[in-house]
Parts: sequence; C-alpha cells; structure tokens
Amino acid sequence: MKPRVKPRTDPIQVSVLQRRLKSITEEMGLTLLRTTRSPILNEARDFVTGLYDARGRMLEQTEYIPVLAFALQPACENVLRFFGDDIHPGDVILHNDVFSGGNQNNDVAVFKPIFHGRKLVAWAACKGHQADIGGAVRGGYNPEAREVWQEALRIPAVKIYERGKLRRDVWNLIFANIRLKIVEEDIKAQIGGCTVGERGYKALLARLGPTKLERLLGELFDSTEKMVRKEISGIPDGTYRGESYAFYDGVTDGTKMKIKLAVSVRGEQVTFDFSGSSPQTPGFVNAPQSATASALLLTFLMLIKPDIPHNAGILRPIRIVNPEGSFLNARFPAATTFGNSITGPTSDAIFRAFSQALPKMVTAGWNRFLGFAVSGHDPRHDAPYVDILFLSLKGGSGATWMADGYDHIGLINCAGGILAQDYEMFEIHDPHFLVKHEYLPDSAGAGRWRGGLGVETEFVMRGDNVTGVAFGDGVEEEARAFGFFGGKPGSRNAITLSYPDGTRRQAKSKEIIRGIPRGTVYNQVAGGGGGYGDPFERPADLVLADVRNGLIGVEAARADYGVCIDPHTLVLDAARTMELRRGIP
Amino acid sequence: MAFKIGIDVGGTFTDFLLMGPTGRTAVHKELSTPADPSIAVMAGVAALAQGQTMAFDRFVRDIEIIVHGTTVTTNAVLTGTTARTGLLTTRGFRDALQMRRGVREQMYDNRYHPPAPIVPRHLRLPATERVDAEGAIVMPLAAADVESAVDRFIAEGIEAVAICFLHAHANGSNEQAAARLVRERLPRAYVSVSSEVLPQVRFYERTSTTVLNAGVGPILSRYLRNLTQKLEQAHYRGTLLIMQSNGGVAAPASVARLAAMTLLSGPAAAPAAGLACMSAQRQTSFITVDMGGTSFDAALVRKGQPAITTSGTVNRYALALPSMEINTIGAGGGSIAWIDDGGLLHMGPQSAAADPGPACYGRGGVEPTCTDANLLLGYLAADYFAGGRIRLDAGAAERSIRERIARPLRMDVVAAAHGMFHVINVNMASAIREISVQKGYDPREFPLICAGGAGPIHGACIAAELGIARIVVPRESSIFCASGMLRTDLKHDYVRSYARALPQSHAGPENGRIRLLLRAMQAEARSALKAEGIAAERQRLHISMDLRYLGQYHEVGVHVPDKAIATLDRIDWKAIRALFHQQHDRLYGYCLREEDTPVELLNLRLSAIGVTDKPALKRQRRSSAGCAHALKGRRPAYRPDRGGFRNLPVYDGDRLGHGNRLAGPAIIESVNTTIVVPAGYLAGYDVLGNCILNARRGHRA
Repeated sequence: MKPRVKPRTDPIQVSVLQRRLKSITEEMGLTLLRTTRSPILNEARDFVTGLYDARGRMLEQTEYIPVLAFALQPACENVLRFFGDDIHPGDVILHNDVFSGGNQNNDVAVFKPIFHGRKLVAWAACKGHQADIGGAVRGGYNPEAREVWQEALRIPAVKIYERGKLRRDVWNLIFANIRLKIVEEDIKAQIGGCTVGERGYKALLARLGPTKLERLLGELFDSTEKMVRKEISGIPDGTYRGESYAFYDGVTDGTKMKIKLAVSVRGEQVTFDFSGSSPQTPGFVNAPQSATASALLLTFLMLIKPDIPHNAGILRPIRIVNPEGSFLNARFPAATTFGNSITGPTSDAIFRAFSQALPKMVTAGWNRFLGFAVSGHDPRHDAPYVDILFLSLKGGSGATWMADGYDHIGLINCAGGILAQDYEMFEIHDPHFLVKHEYLPDSAGAGRWRGGLGVETEFVMRGDNVTGVAFGDGVEEEARAFGFFGGKPGSRNAITLSYPDGTRRQAKSKEIIRGIPRGTVYNQVAGGGGGYGDPFERPADLVLADVRNGLIGVEAARADYGVCIDPHTLVLDAARTMELRRGIP
Repeated sequence: MAFKIGIDVGGTFTDFLLMGPTGRTAVHKELSTPADPSIAVMAGVAALAQGQTMAFDRFVRDIEIIVHGTTVTTNAVLTGTTARTGLLTTRGFRDALQMRRGVREQMYDNRYHPPAPIVPRHLRLPATERVDAEGAIVMPLAAADVESAVDRFIAEGIEAVAICFLHAHANGSNEQAAARLVRERLPRAYVSVSSEVLPQVRFYERTSTTVLNAGVGPILSRYLRNLTQKLEQAHYRGTLLIMQSNGGVAAPASVARLAAMTLLSGPAAAPAAGLACMSAQRQTSFITVDMGGTSFDAALVRKGQPAITTSGTVNRYALALPSMEINTIGAGGGSIAWIDDGGLLHMGPQSAAADPGPACYGRGGVEPTCTDANLLLGYLAADYFAGGRIRLDAGAAERSIRERIARPLRMDVVAAAHGMFHVINVNMASAIREISVQKGYDPREFPLICAGGAGPIHGACIAAELGIARIVVPRESSIFCASGMLRTDLKHDYVRSYARALPQSHAGPENGRIRLLLRAMQAEARSALKAEGIAAERQRLHISMDLRYLGQYHEVGVHVPDKAIATLDRIDWKAIRALFHQQHDRLYGYCLREEDTPVELLNLRLSAIGVTDKPALKRQRRSSAGCAHALKGRRPAYRPDRGGFRNLPVYDGDRLGHGNRLAGPAIIESVNTTIVVPAGYLAGYDVLGNCILNARRGHRA
C-alpha cells in the first residue's frame, strides 16, 4: 500500500474557517438570546450552541456560561450511538438524560443533523437550562430527591421531528409532564437556533465542498491540539495533588464530601484523576460524569491562554479518570441536580493542585454559589411567579497574581457570564420590593491582591404561598473562599428570612422552605473571594482607597493589612503603618 | 456667496468639506490637535479661506453654517479625564454603576479588570426616598440627605452631579426635588437628572447614561464655549450645529444639556453621507463601511432609515440613549498580523496606528500590517501614498512579512501577504454579517458603500465574501463622515417607559395614560425644535414603541406609521400589534401571532426631526467613456483569481468622472484613495462622481 501523503496545510484557510464556524455558533446563540422567554436563558444566558461533526466531535462552540463548555459532546455521541443509521434530514432530537451523556436534568439539548446530499456530515445543537423539567418540585432543584425520577422527566435521545414532520404524540407526552408553558416555547426557540446553525453550515459546505471542508476541519483540530499541547508542555512534569470539600449532602447535618485530585503532567499530556473522592450521597449532591468533565474543562481553560478555539482538539491531550460510584460520577438512578454546583469545590481542588506548578495562573477560592429559587402566587396579576434570584447570589472571585478578584462576579460556573437582574425589571416581574443591593464591606479576602467583593441583598416578599428552595454551599466557616500564598479567605454566604411575626430563620444550604408569608424580609449575603499573597505587601494607598470607599473598615485595614488609618479623617498614618507592618505592636 | 462647512474631528486628522452654492468646493485634511481640538478646526477654516483666495474675515463672514462632529467627550471617557462627578442615588443602591450587573466580558481571563467607575464609591452618595414600579411615591425625599451629600460634593470640588433614583422613569418628582436643592447650593455645577436625560426603565442603564452625561457635560460645555468664542472673534455670524450619536444635529445649547448624545457621534454621519452618495441612483437601502488606520465601521441603512440602537457602550459602560447602530471592529491599514501557537494567522485587533505605523512607513515599525501586505501585493504604490506625501519602503514591508509571517508558516512571502489580505477581508465581512444577517437582512440586497483611505482596496473582496455584487466608492471617500454632516437634519429623541399589556383597542383603560405621555413628548419636541428656529412645517415627529411578548427580556422597537396613530384618541393597536409580529418574525425567524401570546408595551418613543436645507450636490458633466487620458502607467499587482502577479493599468482617479467606464483588473488611484478593480468587475462613474463597481454575472473576486 502506498503511504498517504498528508496534504500541505493551509493556515490561512483554516484561520478563515475557524472564524466562519465561530460566526455560525454566535448567530445561533443570538437567536436564542433574543427568542427564548425564560429569564434563565435570555438574562442569565444559561445555554450553549455548537456544531459537531458526523462523529459527534465538537467543531466549534459558543458557551454563554463556562460550565456548559463540555455539556453537548457526550450527549451528541450518545444520540449517534442510539440512532445509528436511523438519522434522516429533517429529524430533530431532544435529550436531557444524565445517565446517557447529559450534564443536568434541566439542561435540555436539541440536535439537528446536517446532511450533504444523503450523507450525514454534521450536527447543529444547542442546550439550555429549562425553567421546569417535571419531577417533584417546580424548577427542578429538589433537595429532598433521593433518585432521578423525583427530580425530572428523563428524556433519553428522542425524535420530536422525523423527516421534517412534528411527532405530535411525542411532543405532547413530553410537555404533558412539564409544568410551565414557556418551556415548550423555549424548546421551539432552540430548534430555531439549530436551524440557523444548519443554514450556516450548509452555506459553508456549498462554498468549500465536503472533501475540502473535512480536510480543513482536521487541520483545525490539529492546530488547536497543538496550542493546548504547547500550553501543557509549559507546565513542569510531575504529579500534583489538590483536595477540597463540598459541604452538607442535604440529608445529614454536618456531612462533608471530599474531592481528591491527582494531576499528572507528562510532556504534552495531562491526566486528571479523581480516584478516592467521596462515594455518592443519598441526596442530590451528586454529579454526572459530564458535569464533572465540564467543571474540569472550564477551570483548565482559565489556566491556559484564553483565545484557544473551543473544538475537539482541545480535549485530545486531556485524560480524565473519574471512577463510577463517587459523588463526582454517580451511578444510576442517583439524584444529581446539584451536580453543576459542585463545580466550585472541583475548581478549588484543581487550583490547589496547580498552585505548585502554575502559581501565577491559579486564583484563590471563588465564593461558592448559594441560590434560592422562589415560586409562589403574585397577587398583582393573580398569577404564579418563579424566580431564581440571580440578583442576590453573585459573590466575589478569587484573587490571582497581579490582579484583585472580580467583584460581584458570581459562581465560577458562569464566571461573569450571567447578569444580575436589573432592579426595576425585578420589581416589575416579581412581587418583591427591594431595600438594598450593595457591595458587602469587609467581605473580600485580604491579600496582596484582594478577593472580589461580595454583595448584600434585601427585599420584602409580597407574594403569597411562597416556597423557597435553597441550594448551594458556602454557608459554613470552612466553606468560605480560601486564600492563597498568605491571602485570607473571603466571607461566608447566608440567607436569612425575617417573618412578619418577628421570628427569623436562617436557611440551610440545601432545603425547601414552604409557606413563606407575605411581608417576609429576605436578606442574602453572597460572600467575597479569597485573597492572594501577604496582605501586608498590598500597597497602603490601595487599602486606603478601599477604606475611603467604605469597602474595608478601619479596623480590618489595621488587623488584616497592617495599615493605620485615622477613623475620623480617613488619613493614612504612614509611619504607624510601617511599624505595624514590621510587627511593632 | 454662502458657504457650508462640515468638520469631522478624528483621532489623527480633522476633515473638512467646503460646499458652495453649486456644491462641493474643496476638501481639506488638517492634523488634529487633541489637547484643544478647536485649534485644528480654526486652522482648517483658515486653510479653506486660503484655498478660496479670500481674506480670512471675509471668508468667515460668508459661512452660513458649520456642522461639527467632535470626539472630545468620547476621548474624555476613554482616557479617564471626565469631569469630577458626584452621584446622588436611592439609599441601598449606590453600587449599581460600578457593578455593571456583575458582568465580566472575558469569562476565562482571571486578569481581566473591570473598567474604573466614572464616579468612585465615596462620591456615590445615598438619599432616603423611594418611588415604586407604578410611580407612586412610597417615601418622600429626605432633604437632609441631599444637604449632607452636597456638603461632601463641595468639599470634594465636584463639577458635575448625576441624580438617579429608582423608578424615576415612572415618576421623577423626587429627583426633581433633589435637583432643585443641588442647583441652589451648587449653581455652577453641571446637573444631570435621570428623569430628564432618559426617563426609561432599567436602573443600571439609566444610571450609567446619566453619569456619563454628567461626566462629559462640563467638558463639552467648555469646549463649545471655547469654539464659539473663537468663531465670534472671527466675526462668524452663521449657525453652528453639533453632530449627535443619533445621526442628527442639534444646536450647541441643546447638546450641552445632553452632552452624552455626542459620545457615539464619531461615525454617526456615515448613513447620511451614504444617502447623499446614493441619491443619483435613487437607492435608499445600502451598507456603509469606513476603513481607516485602526478601525472599521459598518452601518446598515434600509429604505432611508439607519438602524438605531439603545444598547451602546462607552468604555464598557452602558449608554442607553438612541444612537446609530454602527459596528466597529479593530481592522484597518495599521492592523497587525500575528500567528497563534497553533500556527494560524490572525489580523488585528492591535494596530500599529500612525506611530510607529506599518513597517513600510519606515518610522521604526517592525510588525507586518495590512498596509504592508497591500504594498507588497502591488495594490498601493510606494511613491503615491497620500498623494506621494509619505514614501513607502517596500523592502521594509517585505522583510517584516517574510520574517514574522511567511517564514514561521513556511510559505512564500507573497502567499503570506495575500493570506493577510484575505483574513482581514473575512474579519470585515463578519462585522458586516453582524449588522445584516444577524438582524434578519440579506446583505446581497444591499449595495456596499466603501469609504475610508484603505476601504476601496478591500471593497470588492469584502463584497464577494458576502455575495454583494455592487460596490460604491464615494467621491468623498477619504472624508466620508464630514461629507455626511452637511446632510443631516436636526434630531431629538424622547422616551417614556410604561410597562403594560398592549391595549386591545383604543377604548382600553391604558389609552388615557399613553395619550398623556405621547402628548408630553410632542410638546417637549416642538418647543425644542422651535428654540432651534425650525418652523412648524419643517417639523416631523415619529412615534415608535418598544414591544415584546409577555415574559421576554428583549424588546423590539416598532416604528408606528402615521396612519396607525392618525389621532391619539384612536390609536390603531391592531395594526401596531401586527407590525410587531412581523418585525419579530424578520429579526428572529418566528412570531407568536397564532398562539395569541400577549404583547407587552415597555417604552414609548418619539423622534423629532427638524428638516434642514441640504446643499446641492455638484453634478458632473458626462464625458465620453474612454479612460485613456487618465492612464498613469502599469504596475504588477497580485491577482487572487490567478495566484500571481500581472501588470495592471493604473488610472488617475482625479481625472476620471461621470461617464467614464473601465474593466478590471485595474487600479484607480487618487490622492487619498486607491480603488482595486478586480478581474470580472466593471467600474463606472455616476453623475456625482462616485465610482461604482459591478461584478459581472457569475463572477466573484
């Protein structure tokens, strides 16, 4: 046999192709942003759009929040395995099942195959977090769930369109099991997004022809792989270990789940091994494999150059060992809705492991996510209402070498990709009356670079029959965002309900609170991020600026930073500061 | 004789277009003077006088109108030199400005810094007061809070105060009460009140806009005072009008009150320039692009109406005032080529700018740029750049591309240069897709007006990427925006938020309030135009509404035709609803007409136009089709279709005009513009002297 000669690479055409693929996934995303109705999709942007090749490998992807960085490829591969050659032009396939490649029950994927003539050449796909997905609790976050059926309707790969024809029976079956009408509209919007993607990809096919397109795609993967390999080869070889904990399994008070991670770097290869992490929990604090892989990938992307294209090439040099049965890869039929929220602890373990190899790239701990989904009756319109309160949950990020943490950025899963709600629109949408939404003073972990600031939110709840579902982490002292290299931890999360009768209730990090009466005052503090480096090395004028701006108290400036500031005039006492910083009491 | 002058202050050059009674009289470029831009303005006017061989005083007396586009406000924001500003806001919400709703634009970059807030936290002071979403006053203003805030402002030497309270879009009386107290004690401060600047729902966007307005208010006022003083000293008696971001102009007094209206005004005259340029061809739908040294601006005009956006940003801060929807990317002659770690080629967004400039400028630039590639490919002449004022060093361009691009990619230097040319063309085509395809328009239905010094070299190739068959290079390509400024109308925009279900009929209970709000805007608009000396018959008021399906977050702006709103007592809501469905379908590929989903009203808008006299366009006399008289010579240039060099004829563009036609491949050079006519294109000149490139059927560059 003659050896095949690899065709000459063409960096120009590959560059252009990458730009064009990106354009298509962005157009798909724009369609979703504009056409979906749930605020989780159009405000919080909890969705991802992408193109995949005939084998289900990622060609290009635009994730609007990082935790979806790896949310589609495993599902796409599963769809291919299931349907085999029974895939036809005009088919549309739905999928959410976490035990066949899904990452979270509420994240429903729509796949549309793209054909060239009669040959399957690619997929347009998008996945978005739906406002409801059936199960026992509206909205899907059910801390009382013990198995998947109490959480959600399972949708393994299902055709909702077959050869261009809507399967009304299947469609009705699915939506008969979902509470909110908007989910149906939002799935339609996702199908629209896939149609936009299909159109774009077909134009590309027409321009280049299938053979050339395939060759260029191969080169694109190679080029991306090369970039990632180069990044990895810059990390000294070795095995690095990091540990962290998730707190409270929602069943037994005081529980702690351990993440045990060993990262091995060998040349241009990196292996992430989670062996030895805690076994799966009886409640919903479990992750499917896809969710853990996404958490890993998003953290890894923060450690390398930010402009590497997102395609399958990026995955080639990465190996993941994540044995089944741990809470990071739970066995069927575990409840797993909390899985994405384990991203915080997972990234903590990754940053800790890399702190030895890449000390200038890792960040200190990010404030862990604590959410509170409310649903109830809105007396103004005599209608039900739901809200996930993105406004109140965004704490600060961890500081890194040469940069303070980012204030009010929110969970690392989203890394500033979700927007806090606008105050006025919040009051128009919900029967809530805002009292406060401001940076939380003294929340940021002290450091040479300080953590990002947390935020305090307070509002009066004026809905009836309100149920709140707390889901998250970060309420224990130990669960605060950790400091690095001498930096201090950020502050805790807390949700406090003050009932009209004068009683107060502090929410656990995972629980359902029912029957919240009208007039209850909701207060939430989202904590700050961890600091990086010795706070005594932070320039005194930066500390002074934070004090003048009311973000650090005079006391904290003195105790944490060794900076002496007159509490009345807010003038810096440089001499005393120097003494304090030299340890002279 | 009566002159009109359009003046466009840019980063490098200040452009001038002088029009006399019979049309275009002269074009001039003056180096900008950023420290005090009025110096270049006056120097340019003096140069124009000289060009007319007139004494300066006499010339100035003969000027009837000056339309002036300025970037003083934009530069102040970008360089952090805004006025010292304080913010008074509702207690409990003083951080909304700095929070920017918690967005980090670069999700994976943990060193990505937020922009510094225009008002630091210690100058963002709270007042106890509260209006609810319905506009009811829940808590009256605590005057003592305003007093103590003003004490602080005085102590801190504040020049401008922004006032933004929660739900002031629904009821501005608490804000007004605060403004009165502030004005009493700080009579010299520039006071920017959200319910006056932008009475529109969404607190962060309104706060940010109000603060930007405060921050640049004193700067623009100072600049305009300075400029009017200089003009007065020169005995100028004509009218001075200022270019605004909404594509219209306004009198200095009005602009000074709403200074933020100039923040995105840089390229805002392009659509008007495009309309003038296309008038001979009776075409009112087109895309304009302007490619300069560092940036590329693209805008779409449909049926004479430029696209307008209310979600602009300046230095990553929201600016919600209506502005021309112009997509700017970092692509220009100075864009730098670079190779990533995976071996792929990129162009920009970094630019070598004017200093050190492209390698071929010979001013110490070593990075290979778009201009270097254009020179190597033969599209630019080394001895005729800027009409020969800048001599280009072809050796330096080649060395730079060879060492930094060709060698690492193992390509020959010409293929590398052509790769650079191709990649930047694709980038620019993507920027055009964002304003066309992504808004539901097919770019193939829009001719491409291609302006700017570097634009016409790339025009045909960009057009080919998008399937556009017709490219127009305007006569005033190099001073495109200045040429548009003389063709704009006075324009003021008004908004009132009213979040309600859209009324089913004109009998619905909401009609009364809507009528009231529309009438208030009409009265305000008419008095503003009257103050600018616009007679009633020249006033045009256009109503539009921001609508959405119940539960959607993004609204769609719907222009309400006069016939749907003939009288405010009988608004045709059915027609408005139908227009909304139609527009939603075009924008997003679906509508919910059949499902009967309720439609929500969010904002009522009114645009007030004062129609101005437009100077006549100079029409050229038709000459014979032959172009031989303009042939300057031949030079080798790269032909992408053949992959090699060929000797192409080079024509002197200044000697070509109406009636001249030539077939590509060819190059047409004039002092500030080079046009590349690829093979398969026919170039011809219209009656206004615009050069039009038409692709022959089935042919693409």
